[in-house]
Amino acid sequence: MPSFFLDEQQIEFSQGESVLRAALRHGRDIPHYCYHAGFSVVATCRMCLVEITDMGNGRPMPKLQASCSTPAAEGMKVLSLSDKVRTAQNQVNEYLLVNHPLDCSICDQAGECTLQDVAYSYGSGLSEMNYEKRVYGWRDVGTYIMLERNRCIHCSRCERFSREVEGTSDFGMFLRSHELTFDTFEDHRIMHKFQGNLVDICPVGAITEREFRFKKRVWKLKKTESVCPSCSTGCNITIDHHRNHVERLKPRENQAVNRWWMCDEGRLGYRKLNARESRHLEPQARVKGKLEPAGWEAVYEAMANKIEEISAEGDAVLGIADTHATNEEMYLLKKLLADCFGGARAYFPFRPGTEPQTDRFLYTLITTDKSPNTQGAQAIGLLGDTDDTRLNSALAKGPKLVILLGMPCAGDKQVREAVSRAELIVLIATEKSAWDDVADIILPGLIYAEKAGTFTNKHRRVQRIQPAIAAPEHCREQCRIFVELREAMGQPLPLANARAVFEEMGGSDGPFGGLTWAEVGTLGVPLNGEKTAPAGA
Amino acid sequence: MAKEKLLLLKNIREANYKGDLDSYRKTGGFTALEKVLSAMKPEEVVEAVKDSGLRGRGGAGFPTGVKWGFMPKGTGKPAYLVCNADEAEPGTFKDHLLINEDPFLFLEGMIMGCYAIACHHGYIYIRGESIKSAEHLQRAIDSLYKEGLLGKNIFNSGYDLEMTLHRGAGAYICGEETALLESLEGKRGQPRVKPPFPAVSGYNACPTTVNNVETLANLPFIINEGAEAFKALGTPNNSGTHLVSISGHINQPGVYEVEMGVTIRELIDDYAEGVRDGKKLKALIPGGASSNVLTADEIDIPYDFDSLMKAGTMMGSAALMVFDEDTDIVELAYRTIRFFNHESCGQCTPCREGTNWLKHMIRDFMDDNGNGPMLERVDRVAEGMIGTTLCPFGDAAGAPIRIFVAKYAADFRNHFAQ
Ligand SMILES: Cc1cc2nc3c(=O)[nH]c(=O)nc-3n(C[C@H](O)[C@H](O)[C@H](O)COP(=O)(O)O)c2cc1C
Ligand code: SF4
Ligand code: SF4
Ligand code: FES
Repeated sequence: MPSFFLDEQQIEFSQGESVLRAALRHGRDIPHYCYHAGFSVVATCRMCLVEITDMGNGRPMPKLQASCSTPAAEGMKVLSLSDKVRTAQNQVNEYLLVNHPLDCSICDQAGECTLQDVAYSYGSGLSEMNYEKRVYGWRDVGTYIMLERNRCIHCSRCERFSREVEGTSDFGMFLRSHELTFDTFEDHRIMHKFQGNLVDICPVGAITEREFRFKKRVWKLKKTESVCPSCSTGCNITIDHHRNHVERLKPRENQAVNRWWMCDEGRLGYRKLNARESRHLEPQARVKGKLEPAGWEAVYEAMANKIEEISAEGDAVLGIADTHATNEEMYLLKKLLADCFGGARAYFPFRPGTEPQTDRFLYTLITTDKSPNTQGAQAIGLLGDTDDTRLNSALAKGPKLVILLGMPCAGDKQVREAVSRAELIVLIATEKSAWDDVADIILPGLIYAEKAGTFTNKHRRVQRIQPAIAAPEHCREQCRIFVELREAMGQPLPLANARAVFEEMGGSDGPFGGLTWAEVGTLGVPLNGEKTAPAGA
Repeated sequence: MAKEKLLLLKNIREANYKGDLDSYRKTGGFTALEKVLSAMKPEEVVEAVKDSGLRGRGGAGFPTGVKWGFMPKGTGKPAYLVCNADEAEPGTFKDHLLINEDPFLFLEGMIMGCYAIACHHGYIYIRGESIKSAEHLQRAIDSLYKEGLLGKNIFNSGYDLEMTLHRGAGAYICGEETALLESLEGKRGQPRVKPPFPAVSGYNACPTTVNNVETLANLPFIINEGAEAFKALGTPNNSGTHLVSISGHINQPGVYEVEMGVTIRELIDDYAEGVRDGKKLKALIPGGASSNVLTADEIDIPYDFDSLMKAGTMMGSAALMVFDEDTDIVELAYRTIRFFNHESCGQCTPCREGTNWLKHMIRDFMDDNGNGPMLERVDRVAEGMIGTTLCPFGDAAGAPIRIFVAKYAADFRNHFAQ
């Protein structure tokens, strides 16, 4: 691979790659605003200037060069820390601050603001500008975002995102020179479902999220890497939380899945994570027709006794999982039925949904399958069809014991009625639903933000979720519930946690065979032997 | 008045010259074009222009033949020649003279230029304010079509060429070639990142050369009289004659055609008949508002690209602006920065914010509100714009201000707050 020198450090680059891009890939920081790997290079903020003492042919460049638009060349010598560069950086940042309001104290972006960071690292800390600043005022530009143009540093990222990535060109450049402004037409409201990305790419607090405005200082937030469960794409995200309260979800770069983006529906998924009223918060058992709270041990014991009493197996027992369950949970359900109930089977509603057919990658993110793990259920071998034929014929045989994982087919009255005729109905769920009226026993599980596990996305890529916040006191991880239930039944399965379950899946044949937890890592891997095309390729 | 050397203004200086197609023909017009189309290969035209040493008259003085040589061949894409008739540099009014009074001269040159770079559709980009000139030029183009000098099979040579006149919307920055191309494509007129250069990816991402009106107007002479004859004029490396727009406090403002290398003093005294009202010269801007000012005792230098470069300024578009002893340089600096502030496209941080900040500060001087630290700040803010922007506009706005301050600090001090 060809290479160049950045302040003595040798940096490899691929043909056509810019100095900045190669440097960033190697973990070097050259301050920059307008550059974003997701769209075209305009080289206008001028923050990324570097000194080139040798173009690779022994000759220097007379002027400082924007590293974002300078292609790297073999043997090039680039300085990013020289006095000349420092002076220029300092000056460019000074120009930016000339008209930037000093309202960091009330700005949501403070703490994750590129302008602030760069000013601290590269600026002089002085302003000699003593004229009135440019003032525009707030504009309500979109259903999900607000625009404060006073804070704008004219990097044009919003304009390029709107034109090149999103495609509706909502943002435009108006006027010129110091009056230049990035804005929408006055009577135009941004309506699309990807507005949150504008907030992410705006390096300052000019574009802010309505949902997050004035709520939290970002430096208080802890970020936990996870996967959005709101549709089958599984955009990589961070769950940003503070004191066990989730404040927002942010996309996390994964070129094979969502690149840098996610949709607003996914972002709004954060609201549910803090909800308590809608959740099952403790185990319950039906006593004389009425659900009563009960302790875990008592419930397990009652269940084990009842199961022994019914003594059903094969077609007399069935499990139904919904596609919000993790791969590990589905695996444990299937295994429980197979091991302890004479080959009983697990079903799931197979609703693969569709991905929009479009050249605009961004729009392929939102699929019609609003659950994260349909492909996982399929791969693990739960039985499902789009019209639930197999499930219905299994139910027609009048099972005596039904185990529900999640809230599968909760809206389907026919399925509910068929299930209700069973002698014992166990519901392992996080949320209240129509199943509550039917269930004999309710075991409260954890939502995705509280537990570990994996989902298999629409392109059959296995991706990991991790616990971000602590679960309500009396709720338990679903994997643990399966293990404890088996314990109570006298058929223990010594798997300590989701990771152990996954390693067991990885150790067997089948689609998960050969995969390890570590390998799945934070960016995921395709199912065994399969290749998922990189996003948009 | 000293005698002009007439290549480009030969017709125009004739008392009864009408500038229509017939009169142009009568003076020997289109003989060069006929020769090129019937007897020369495109490469030969490029060679001839290279040999002549012709340098672009739009501002940068880049050798025209070399520029044409950058046009890649066999890309499978159309090639374009775009004539830059934006002429917006303050003090410059020579292209419009050619357009208004002898349009066929540069049009003939342009057709040959198109042929040389295998272009079959040429564009002329004229500034938006020039409505009359644009109408006039359009009529000229129409008559070329009528006479078969544009369109299909020109002079039965098998060479086809379309030509389109495009009016800008009135922005100085659209004279910068990549901003011009953006504007021509119907976009916001602002400079593009280079590389890629227009020769590789210009108009509609196709190979493109941008040439100034006057540059192209030199072609008929070069083809008719030969590259050597052209090179014999002017100074080494600065061949030919050029059109100098002289304005300001001068007795005879106007466009003068002189050989490269005539001194600035000669231009002022012998051609434009000296400073107005017998006043003394105080300052001289040699190449449009973007060039650095010269003081009265710096003008005994040849007026060509290289000599001016050596003197720390540039010839730019050859717009000489003369300022007499009564001129307040602060006012001049204010006018200059106000212009650049108004015309910046606003993309680049230093140019967008710097021009505005400078304008405010120099305004303060105008209001007798200046002081020492502020003067230093003017210099510092201007310096920060030099060499840090996307296009040369940042330099063009920053450098002249620095030089005003450096050479005429006393004028600024006169405006310190009491
Ligand atoms: C800010 C700016 C303004 C310019 N304005 C003009 C102009 O009005 N006319 C022109 O011919 N060239 C202008 N130029 C130069 C053009 O970019 C380009 O170099 C020129 O048209 C090339 O023609 P030439 O090679 O024949 O000189 C300008 C350049 C800059 C940076
Ligand atoms: S609003 Fe934000 S993204 Fe858009 S130009 Fe301004 S700073 Fe850049
Ligand atoms: S230097 Fe000025 S005019 Fe040129 S691109 Fe930058 S902002 Fe626009
Ligand atoms: S990041 Fe290079 S100029 Fe903005």
